[in-house]
Amino acid sequence: MENHYAIETQSLGRIYKVRHAGKKETKTLTALEGVDLQIRKGELFGLLGPNGAGKTTLIKILTTLLAPSHGKASVAGYDVSKEPEEVRRRINMVSGGESSGYGLLTVRENLWMFAQFYGIPGKEANARIKTLLEIVGMADRENTRTHSLSTGLRQKMNIVRGFLTDPQILFLDEPTLGLDVGASRDVRNFIHRWMGDDTQRTLLLTTHYMVEADELCDRVAIINKGKVLACGTPSSLKQSLQKEAIFRMDLDCPRAVDEAPFRGMAGVKSLKVHDNETRTVMDLVLAEESVLAGVIAAVTHQGAQIATLQKREPTLEDVFVQLVGQRMEEVEHADAPSGE
Amino acid sequence: MPMLPPVSKRHTGWRLFLMTVFGRSYPRVIGAQRETSWVFFDTLLPMLSVAAYVFVYRAIKAPEDYVGFVVVGGAMMAFWMNVLWSMSSQLYWEKETGNLALYIISPGSMMAILLGMAVGGLFATTLRALGIIVLGSLLFSVHFVVASFWQLILVFLLTMVALYGLGMMTASLYLLLSREAWHFSNLAQEPIFLVSGFYFPIKNFPAWVPVIGSIIPLTLGMDAMRQLSFASGPSLGWVSVKIEIIVLTGLAVAFLIAARYLLSYMEKLAVREGRLTESRG
Amino acid sequence: MENTTPVMQKNWRSFRMAAWLGWKIESNWTDPFLFAIYSIVKPLAAAMILVVMYGVISRNQFDSPVFAYLFIGNAFYQYVSNVMVGVSWAIVDDREHYRTLKYLYVSPISIPFYLLGRGVARVLITTFSVVVILAVGVAFLHIPFNPAVINWPLFISSLLIGILMLAMLGLLLAGFTLRMAQYSFNIGDSVAGALYLFSGAIFPISVLPAFLRPLGYIMPISYWLELIRRALVGGVAADFPMFPGFSNLQLLMILIGMTIIFGFISVWGWKKFDWQARERGLIDQTNNY
Repeated sequence: MENHYAIETQSLGRIYKVRHAGKKETKTLTALEGVDLQIRKGELFGLLGPNGAGKTTLIKILTTLLAPSHGKASVAGYDVSKEPEEVRRRINMVSGGESSGYGLLTVRENLWMFAQFYGIPGKEANARIKTLLEIVGMADRENTRTHSLSTGLRQKMNIVRGFLTDPQILFLDEPTLGLDVGASRDVRNFIHRWMGDDTQRTLLLTTHYMVEADELCDRVAIINKGKVLACGTPSSLKQSLQKEAIFRMDLDCPRAVDEAPFRGMAGVKSLKVHDNETRTVMDLVLAEESVLAGVIAAVTHQGAQIATLQKREPTLEDVFVQLVGQRMEEVEHADAPSGE
Repeated sequence: MPMLPPVSKRHTGWRLFLMTVFGRSYPRVIGAQRETSWVFFDTLLPMLSVAAYVFVYRAIKAPEDYVGFVVVGGAMMAFWMNVLWSMSSQLYWEKETGNLALYIISPGSMMAILLGMAVGGLFATTLRALGIIVLGSLLFSVHFVVASFWQLILVFLLTMVALYGLGMMTASLYLLLSREAWHFSNLAQEPIFLVSGFYFPIKNFPAWVPVIGSIIPLTLGMDAMRQLSFASGPSLGWVSVKIEIIVLTGLAVAFLIAARYLLSYMEKLAVREGRLTESRG
Repeated sequence: MENTTPVMQKNWRSFRMAAWLGWKIESNWTDPFLFAIYSIVKPLAAAMILVVMYGVISRNQFDSPVFAYLFIGNAFYQYVSNVMVGVSWAIVDDREHYRTLKYLYVSPISIPFYLLGRGVARVLITTFSVVVILAVGVAFLHIPFNPAVINWPLFISSLLIGILMLAMLGLLLAGFTLRMAQYSFNIGDSVAGALYLFSGAIFPISVLPAFLRPLGYIMPISYWLELIRRALVGGVAADFPMFPGFSNLQLLMILIGMTIIFGFISVWGWKKFDWQARERGLIDQTNNY
């Protein structure tokens, strides 16, 4: 079945029924709603959103672990509900914080075992394992039993498992969770190279690290509360904010900043006030630069002093805040659909 | 030059099935060799439980063949426990660790995964059973009178095929269960030991009990093995060995076919309800 | 220096919290009705195995004191498998399944008292099961049970001391389970099964070969079960006694003394195994194959 989309969803939705302990009635929880995505072959596509946004639910549907409640999804041209066996021949998945495998087996043995499930002959599997372990810097751990690996090394092993079977489409669900900065960078570099080696490979990456999405992805979809809010290349998403002026001010305040005067001010599109260790930080998105003067006046009127004033290029986080009205961390603290 | 060449060959069909079986059996076989304390905990200590029942029979002055029944029952119990804990409810633990999701999304079939678990577990289980038979026979001077060695082998093999087919069927139910899985497996110990007649001939029950108990292949399997291995066996058998062989054959075929369809159905149901990746609760 | 919680308060808090948690875990898995069925069917089936074995040989002569001996011993042996194993199983549960053992270790609780608290739910569930089994025995199997002649002080004191003794043995087993990280799943059940042979639960120790009898005589469980039988069915127990040369008071003193001795052994054993487990990094090690 020829289809130039590696992954396609049409009005995809998933509703969970949740029953609380001791109670007979069930509540419904909408984890995904009306998701329309088209991901081309060869694309490194990012799904960006806070915890509980529906990223993992979407991955589970696309990897045939979960049936959609409504809508359709196809992977490699095959319907995930009707032809799951065809889908499984062509995919693999790595989740962050995975504890898969068996503690008593060595790294090599665990990886070899999974290769068997994909029909890869033992000799070829072992050769690939050796190469991949060298690439990720685990060659010396090949014969280490996995129960003695650290979390980071275990996650590296899981990442190797995902690439080992040479899937057409690879799903990475928060793959750098548990990895240190250096290891995360290595993984991102590896992903770049892997994609570059074969232009027909497709990768769907979920993350709540903006930097990761920005750096790696050809296109990004921002998802929150089960809905895709925006989809485009990182630069096009940021450019949607380019007309606006984005500032960050560090303030020394004798007392808490009263946000009301700023919210009512014409030209202030979004305002976020939060405290860091030493100062109060104000993130502003203004309709145009000239609005800044009024903001400064309001700040000084409250007795605050401006320690630093910085004009920033828009980031994906700014795009998120613009779309959702809150920072990602703030959304995570509020109620979110479970099912991730 | 690519850092990793593409995979040159991927087996499918029966070769993939066999590779999956072999792959999944590997952790079991290697685990049994790397952690050898099972010899003590799974063979010697259960032997003490068997001995307890032997001494009960001796305390109540039972005929000596009953001591042999206990030894055989204790040996066969190893297979039931393997099916219960290392196959059926094992899927629940696989779900907890995230392995189940990885099995499901791989091209290898769940039936092959389960068969791999069974084959891998059979290694240690067979050793345990043999250990109990040999030790028990030596310690308690069990006197075997084998009427037909080939029939005995046939009964044993049919019982194993049917038993592990049943194990695959029940494993499919565990795809849907969460914490209930552990409790169901726990519940399927003593009641099954009772109705299947692990330590006594089932002939002593009202007829409906062994009829129901026959759904567990070990019921008829052990009854036939007793008839074929002990002098008083034929007089204490429930039905003839020939009938039991026929029924066991039917059970083996039925369970294997049912396992295939049930696994597929349960997997679809679990996917629909989102049960394949939920956590312990 | 930050406040130091008095030791007794800490121990009580650990015990109390663990008892609550143990109950939540044991009971919170399905419909309460099914839970009740599970708590009855399993132990009743275990008892019925012996009933059928006995009935087959004796042609259903359930009036014999031999039957009362093994029925009551088997019923109360459930405390051994549930309490002793239950305390040690908490290690497996928390380390392998819930993966919370490491968090418990870094929190300001007493792990031994936590483990003992986890056994409380099992004591309650087992008591329910034992009552049901005895009721079935009295109603259908001619167990000579007369509340008017029960030695209640002896029964209650023996039961409570026995549960404490089993809890301490459970602690020792828990330590061993902690240390044996890689094969911890079956340890509890295997040990309970083995003790079945030496504890005089279902036949007197005198039935064992002479060289094995000392093992039965050094197990406090043997004395405990005999005291329970004497308290509940005194006359019948006298017809098929296990320690004919000892009075009730003497047996009770022996039980108390052995409980104290095993208590010390358990505490020492726990500390030793706990240190070894921490030294080898086994507190958060998981194994599954």
